[in-house]
Amino acid sequence: MNLPFRLAFEQRTETPRRLAVMVPLLSVLAAIVAGGIFLFATGYSPFETYSNMLSDGFFSSTGITDTLGLSTVLICTGIAAAFAFQMNLYNIGGEGQLYLGMIGGAWAGLFFGDRLPGFVMIPVVLLVGAACGALWIALPAFVRARLGTSEIVTTLLLTYIGASLVNHFIYRAGSYFRAPNTLFPQGRQVPDSAMLSPLGDTTMYPTFFLVTVLAVFLWWVVRRTEFGYRIQVISDSPRAARYAGISAQRTTVQVMMISGALSGLGGATLIVGTFGRLDPGIVLLGYGYAGIVIAALARNNMAAIIVSGILFAGLRTGGDKLQISTDTPIHIGVMLQGAILLFALGGEAFRRYRVKVVRMQTATAQGAAQ
Amino acid sequence: MSNTSSEVAKGPHHSGGAAPSALSARNITKRFPGVLANDNVDFDVRPGEVHTLLGENGAGKSTLAAMLCGLYQPDSGTIARNGAPVVLSSPRAGLSHGIAMVHQHFRLVERFTVAENVVLGSRDLSYTLKRAELNDRVAEVAERYGLPVDPSATVGDLSVGQRQRVEIVKALYQGAEILLLDEPTAVLVPAEVEKLFENVHAMTATGKSIVFISHKLGEVVEISDRVTVLRNGRVTGHVSGRGSADTRELARLMVGRDIDLAVQRASHATGHEVLQIRDLSLTVNGIDVLSNISFNVHEGEMVGIAGVAGNGQKELADTIAGLVSPTSGSVSIGGSMSTDRGPIAARELGLAYVPEDRLGMGLVPSMSILDNLLLTRDRDTVVDRASVKPEANRLIDQFEIKANGPEHLARKLSGGNAQKVLLARELSGGRTATKLLVVCSPTRGLDVGAIETVRRLLDDARSAGQAILLISEDLDEIMSLADRILVLYRGAIVHETTGESAQLTTVGAAMAGLTQEVQQ
Repeated sequence: MNLPFRLAFEQRTETPRRLAVMVPLLSVLAAIVAGGIFLFATGYSPFETYSNMLSDGFFSSTGITDTLGLSTVLICTGIAAAFAFQMNLYNIGGEGQLYLGMIGGAWAGLFFGDRLPGFVMIPVVLLVGAACGALWIALPAFVRARLGTSEIVTTLLLTYIGASLVNHFIYRAGSYFRAPNTLFPQGRQVPDSAMLSPLGDTTMYPTFFLVTVLAVFLWWVVRRTEFGYRIQVISDSPRAARYAGISAQRTTVQVMMISGALSGLGGATLIVGTFGRLDPGIVLLGYGYAGIVIAALARNNMAAIIVSGILFAGLRTGGDKLQISTDTPIHIGVMLQGAILLFALGGEAFRRYRVKVVRMQTATAQGAAQ
Repeated sequence: MSNTSSEVAKGPHHSGGAAPSALSARNITKRFPGVLANDNVDFDVRPGEVHTLLGENGAGKSTLAAMLCGLYQPDSGTIARNGAPVVLSSPRAGLSHGIAMVHQHFRLVERFTVAENVVLGSRDLSYTLKRAELNDRVAEVAERYGLPVDPSATVGDLSVGQRQRVEIVKALYQGAEILLLDEPTAVLVPAEVEKLFENVHAMTATGKSIVFISHKLGEVVEISDRVTVLRNGRVTGHVSGRGSADTRELARLMVGRDIDLAVQRASHATGHEVLQIRDLSLTVNGIDVLSNISFNVHEGEMVGIAGVAGNGQKELADTIAGLVSPTSGSVSIGGSMSTDRGPIAARELGLAYVPEDRLGMGLVPSMSILDNLLLTRDRDTVVDRASVKPEANRLIDQFEIKANGPEHLARKLSGGNAQKVLLARELSGGRTATKLLVVCSPTRGLDVGAIETVRRLLDDARSAGQAILLISEDLDEIMSLADRILVLYRGAIVHETTGESAQLTTVGAAMAGLTQEVQQ
């Protein structure tokens, strides 16, 4: 192959500030263009589809509240993933920790339902959910810290076990979590005291504000506290951490447990709002996996996850409604989600390298001289 | 090539001699983002000549060499081989013109044999390797230039000097007429340097050209037929004639001002023992890394540990700093036992430690100067950076660190400035006032100006009564700074002498493990 030019990648000494913002934005744009080509090729009008998605996801009154409602759990799984990723701990099992959070939250709601007043119930459900999420990552966290076992593999495999556990609790006859006397097996509703009321006539719950505050708080923790300082030292240079007497093992366990707790909290928000019961449908929704993409798009910045989480929620609500209003397949939203991740990861190359077009005339001249 | 007349001339050199240049570069300019690495540089090398490129780190010598061998392309200017213009679009194109570079960091496959490494990348290999034949061919090339290597030896088993020889044989095997040696002596012990210089002479005797890249003045004077000095990407001077260059003059051309690297030793009596090491042994994976080491360092004294890299220096420093627990034996600092108590306890007893690896161990590259100052100190739950800022600014001034302020990232500092930040933090004390300073290769890779500053800082710390353990592979440095010298070889102290009475040959022999000579 003899092209008249070739592309050369030159490493940047530093990333210009504008690129840090431009690359994620352009990644989203590139994904939308790629999705548009796909839509066009399969016989749908890209413009019509996108404008429908945009208005259904963001610019209609029910659209925006549905989006913010859905973003609650996505911001949770997003900060969960990012909190581990920033220390190069790849907790891929946020999905499984989310299931456990939901199981724990549902159990707490059912168990304490008639014994505790509402203002205690809600925190109890959320905390038990978070604790179960943390517990689900405890084993991967310890073996990673002690033996260096890849957390990618262990957390991912535990997700499958978590999914089986959800099914077990729903489909087993006489299960504590199962609603009695229903034709199709489904989860037993938690008492009203364990549920929040939505904001007015919407699908949005006050937990949205809780998780946004939590995201901003974690942003502060990472930047301003000793704990955040330790995370930064370990993630950048483990040997510097050892030199300074900072225990990487302890911090690894702490960070992974917090990550698991955040995913678990996400599961519990689905109990106090939205579902109100353990729902086997959760294993099809992929909220935990979406957190990985949301974290990547926000480059693990806790505060930026609020934005990328809402963006993703909008794509999903817009995509879901598309199916109802038109005959566009629901999967266009999921496809865009995947495309955004691909472009966001690919965009990293532009942050680190400068792409140069090198003309080949000189080389051919030299070839002729030989 | 019997040009013995010495000329020191500023500005570009124009060769008016009779011998044509084997390789010449004219008006070479190369720009990197934010840096003018080479500015209108002229350079040429004749057959059978050693022409040295001298300059500090960042002066542009490696960039020029990279363009001469085809690794980079100049933005403007021309390169000519035997008078004919050539375009070197890749190292392979350079090689096809008989130009090869021996890099400072070797590019050898450790699991392969010498012969396999030498022929690696040759395009005339058959699908099945005929080992015996290859070995013969490689041995033949090696012998022709007096470079003794065993073609069937595994590279992983060879010493650094031997590996360098393999790199040179590889270049010659590939048909190199012009060899660019990038800081070839940086990794060698004195005896190996001598051997290398013999090889260089053997090669020039057969008409090969050598471009020697270095910042070590003594060896430059010894080996070079001509010297071109670079500073900030420009040629600042040119000296011809073997042995005619004057180190003081070269240093001035290189740095732009007069430099003083004179011998400095403790001018006052030393106090009581600050560091006591007793029968220290360390076994890692069944290998004795340190065996039965005992010595003391006193207040106001600098003890130098000499040795070739990998003889236990790093482990010794890490053990004293509390990063590693010894298998047996003890370390005490300021009269208190610090063995097995970890790095923070050692620091609380007054230890400061400047590790060999500055960025990545001593400093966190992605963090600011200010955050790096906090690394070895007590930090509150909520880090109060504002209160440390005045001190950071003060240290930046006091240690003459070139930075935009306390927020300047460590990885964006030059080697010399990174070392100054590290010394600033360690000398200024953190948890307690510094009593004992352990420094490893404090000036490695620094330019002459920074070396001068770092040595002065160490001398000041000694004068202030701190006990200093200087661990360095740079024998010159130890010889000119240390009050006492211990030689570490295979984890044991094989030789001890005072700084005044130390003999380069004796210490060098001990470093190479020739203990019989040492014990006399």
